[in-house]
Amino acid sequence: MSGPAASIHEEALVRPLSGFRPKLFFGSLVTGLLVAVLFYSWGYQIVNDIGVAGINRPVFWGFYIVNFVFWIGISHAGTLISAILRVTQAEWRRPVTRCAEAITTFALMIGGLFPLIHLGRPWIFWYMIPLPNERGIWPNFRSPLMWDVLAITTYLMGSILYLLLPMIPDFAIIRDKRLREYPKGLKTLFFRVAALGWRGTPQQWFSLEAGIKAMAVVIIPVAVSVHTIVSWDFAMAIQPMWHSTIFGPYFVVGAIYSGVAVLMVAMYLLRKGLGIHEYLSDKVFNNLGLMFLAFAMLWSYFTFAEHLTVWYGNEHAERAVFDGRITGEFSGFFWTMIIVNTVIPLLILPWPKGRKPLGTAIVGLGVLVGMWIERYLIVVGTLSTPRLEYTQGFYTPSWVEIGILVGSVGLFGFLYFAFLQLAPIVSLWEVREGEHLTHRAFAAEQALRAGREGASHG
Amino acid sequence: MADGRLHAVFARAADARAALQRLGQDGVAPENVEVRSSVPLEHDVVPVGATIKSRIPWTSLAGATVGGTAFFLMVKLTSEAYPLPTGGQPIVGLPPAGVITFEGVAIGAVLTTVATVLFECGLPGWLKKPGPLDHHIALDHILVSVKCDEGASTAWTAHAVETARG
Amino acid sequence: MTRWGMAIDTDRCTGCGACAVACHAENNIQTVGEVEAARGRAMHWMRIERYYEGVFPDVKVRFQPVLCQQCGHAPCEPVCPVYATYRTPEGLNAMVYARCIGTRYCANNCPYTTRYFNWFAPEFDAPLERQLNPSVSVRPAGVMEKCTFCVQRIQDAQEVAAQEEREVRDGEIKTACSQSCPAQAITFGDLDDPESLVALLARTERTTHLLEDLSTEPSVIYLRGGR
Repeated sequence: MSGPAASIHEEALVRPLSGFRPKLFFGSLVTGLLVAVLFYSWGYQIVNDIGVAGINRPVFWGFYIVNFVFWIGISHAGTLISAILRVTQAEWRRPVTRCAEAITTFALMIGGLFPLIHLGRPWIFWYMIPLPNERGIWPNFRSPLMWDVLAITTYLMGSILYLLLPMIPDFAIIRDKRLREYPKGLKTLFFRVAALGWRGTPQQWFSLEAGIKAMAVVIIPVAVSVHTIVSWDFAMAIQPMWHSTIFGPYFVVGAIYSGVAVLMVAMYLLRKGLGIHEYLSDKVFNNLGLMFLAFAMLWSYFTFAEHLTVWYGNEHAERAVFDGRITGEFSGFFWTMIIVNTVIPLLILPWPKGRKPLGTAIVGLGVLVGMWIERYLIVVGTLSTPRLEYTQGFYTPSWVEIGILVGSVGLFGFLYFAFLQLAPIVSLWEVREGEHLTHRAFAAEQALRAGREGASHG
Repeated sequence: MADGRLHAVFARAADARAALQRLGQDGVAPENVEVRSSVPLEHDVVPVGATIKSRIPWTSLAGATVGGTAFFLMVKLTSEAYPLPTGGQPIVGLPPAGVITFEGVAIGAVLTTVATVLFECGLPGWLKKPGPLDHHIALDHILVSVKCDEGASTAWTAHAVETARG
Repeated sequence: MTRWGMAIDTDRCTGCGACAVACHAENNIQTVGEVEAARGRAMHWMRIERYYEGVFPDVKVRFQPVLCQQCGHAPCEPVCPVYATYRTPEGLNAMVYARCIGTRYCANNCPYTTRYFNWFAPEFDAPLERQLNPSVSVRPAGVMEKCTFCVQRIQDAQEVAAQEEREVRDGEIKTACSQSCPAQAITFGDLDDPESLVALLARTERTTHLLEDLSTEPSVIYLRGGR
C-alpha cells in the first residue's frame, strides 16, 4: 500500500511561486520590453493607417496573416497533444500536460490578435461578432473568416477551461501550504480565490476527472477543426496553389508539427531554468521525440504530395507559383524550409541519442523557423504571382510588421513567465496520482508473487 | 475540535479506508463524514453509505445538442433575415452552416461540462473556512473529519488516533 | 430583368489610357503619388494591361483594359465576413464601403486583381479636391474599393426615366470609361435586353471572357480577333 507521494522534488515546482526569482524577473523584464515594441508598432499603425505596413497590391496579406497561421499552429502544441495523451492514457504525459496547455492558451491569444492587427479598420472589428443591432450589420456565415472567428473562439474558450480545470486542485494544495506559512500574504489570497474553495472530497475528484475526460474528447475535434478552417481561408479562394483539397489535413499536420517543436524548446528551457529534470525526464523527451519524428515524416510526405500534384498537373498559373518556390525568387526560402523541416529532423530524430533534450530542442528551433517559412511561402508566394501576369507583385515587410512579429514572441514569453509565477508548471496532483498508481501496481505484483511463492512452497 | 469537528490524518489510503469502515459500523451518517485528499483515491475510500456519481457525459451531450441547434438556427434565421446573395451561393448554404453548427456543438459541450463540474463539486465555495490540519492534505495525506455535534464515538477517536500514529 | 454588362473591343483599343483618367475623375479615386505607386499601391479601377506577342524585333503590343468583371459567380463576394460586397438584383457586384472592415480577403480572392485598397486616407492635390464628384463618396483609409460600373450614372438615368414614366433607353447610360474612349471600344448596356448594342456584340463570334475557365461568369465581354 502506498504512502505519501509528495516528494522533495516538488519543491522545485513550487519554488517559483513565491519570493523574488531573479531569472523570472529578468525574463519578464526583457519580454516585457518586447511587448512594448508590439504595442508601440501596432499603435503607430492604427494612428497612421494600415499603409505603414509593407503589404500592397497584389500581396494584400503579409506578415500578419503569416504570423496568424504560425501562432495558431503553435497553439496545437498543448491542448491537442495533452488531450490525445490523456485519452490514450499515456502515463508519461503527466508532467507534460500543464506546460503544453499553457503554450496553447497563450499562443492562441496571440494568434487571435493578428487578424485584428491585420484589419484595415480594426476599431470596427465587432462587425464580425453576431450582435443584434439597429444598423442591419450582420456577419456573413458563408465566409471562411467567420468560421475562423467561431472556431478560434471555441478553441480559446475550451483551451482556457481545459487548462484551468486541472489547476484547481493544485491551487488548493498551494493554498493549504501557504495558509500555514504566510496566512496574510497577497499571493495567499490569490491562491485562495483561484482554488475556488476546492476541498478534494471523493465526489469532487470524481466529477473533476469525468469533466476532464469529457473535455479531452471534445477538444480533439475542435483543435483539428481550427487549423482545418485556417487552411480553408486559403483553400476556399481560387488562387493558384491555395485552392487545394489537401490543405485541411496538411495544415493540421503542420500545426501539430510546429506545436511539438515549440513544446520541445519550451520543455528544454523549463528543465534547464527550473531544474526539474526529475519531471521533464529524458524519457519524456524521448517519447515526445518519437512523436516529433512521426510528424516530421507526415509533414514531409504531405509537402511532397502537394508539390508533386501541382508539378504534374502543370496548370499555367499554378506552375508559375510552383516555379517561384523551386527555382525562382522564393527558392532560398523553400530549400531552407526543406532542410530544417525535413532533412535535419530525419537525420537526427531517428537515433535515441538525437532524442535527448538538447537534440530535440535544436531540431525544434529549426522546425519553428521552417514552419514560419512554410506559411510565408503559402501567403506571399501565391499572392505575388496572380493569374493575370500584368499584376505580378513583390513584398517587403516594413519595420512595423517586423516589430509586431518580434513583439508577439515577446508577448508569448511574457505571458509564460507570468504563468510560471502563478501556477506550478507541472501538475502536482497528476504526478502524485501517477506515483500512487505505480506504487499500487508494484504492491499488487509483490502480493501476487508472494502468494505464488507461498502456494508453490505449500 | 474547535470547529465542532474531529479531524484525523492518515498517511495511507488503507488506514483511511479502515477508519471509514469503522465509522460506518458505528452508525455515523455519511453526510457527517468528509474525506479530503490531494490526489484522487481508490473508489472505495469513501464514507460508508455515500453515493458518488456524476452526470457527465450526459450533460455534455445535452449541451452539445443545444449548442449545435442554437448555432444552426442562428445561421439559418439571420441569413434569411438579411437575404443578400453572394457569389451565386444559396442564402442558407448547408456546408457553411454545418461548419458553424459543429463549433456550436463543441461550445455547448465544453460550457456545460465545466458548469456540471462546478455544480457537482459545489464550486466556488470560498465561504467554507479552512480547517486546522489542511496543510497535511497538501503533503499528500488523507484527512478524515467527522462532524461530532452529538458526541462522536470515543472508540472511533481512539482508533483514529492510533492508526494515524502508526 | 436588367443585367448590366460591358463589351470591350480589344481590336479597337489603342491603349491611350483616357478611360483610366476619366474613371479617376468620375469616381473620386485617390492618386497615391509616385512613391506609393512604386510600392504597388496605384489605384486605377480601369487599367490598361500591356501584353507583348512575338519575338523581338517582330513584336506586337496588345492592350487589354481590365476592370472589375462584375462576375455572376463572384469569388470575392462570399468570402467577405461582413457582407461588404454582394450581388445586386441588376447584376452588379456592389461594394458597401461603410460595412468594410478591411480584411482584404475579397481582393485576394479576385482572380483579376481588380480590387483596390485605401492604404492611407485619400489626399487630393489642389485643385483636384474641387472637382470631386458629389454623387460618389470619398472612401476612408482601410476600405476596399473597385469599379462600380458607374452606378451613380445608372441610378441618375433610372430616376429620370422613372419621372418620365418610361424604360431606360439603350445607350442612355454611358460609363465614364466608355464615354471617354476615343476609339469607341467600350460599350455599356443591358445584357438581358436582346435589342441592346451590348447584347448584340455579345452574340458575335468575337466574344471571349477573361479567365473563362474559372466559371466566374463575368459581365464584361472582350471582343477580339475580328480581322
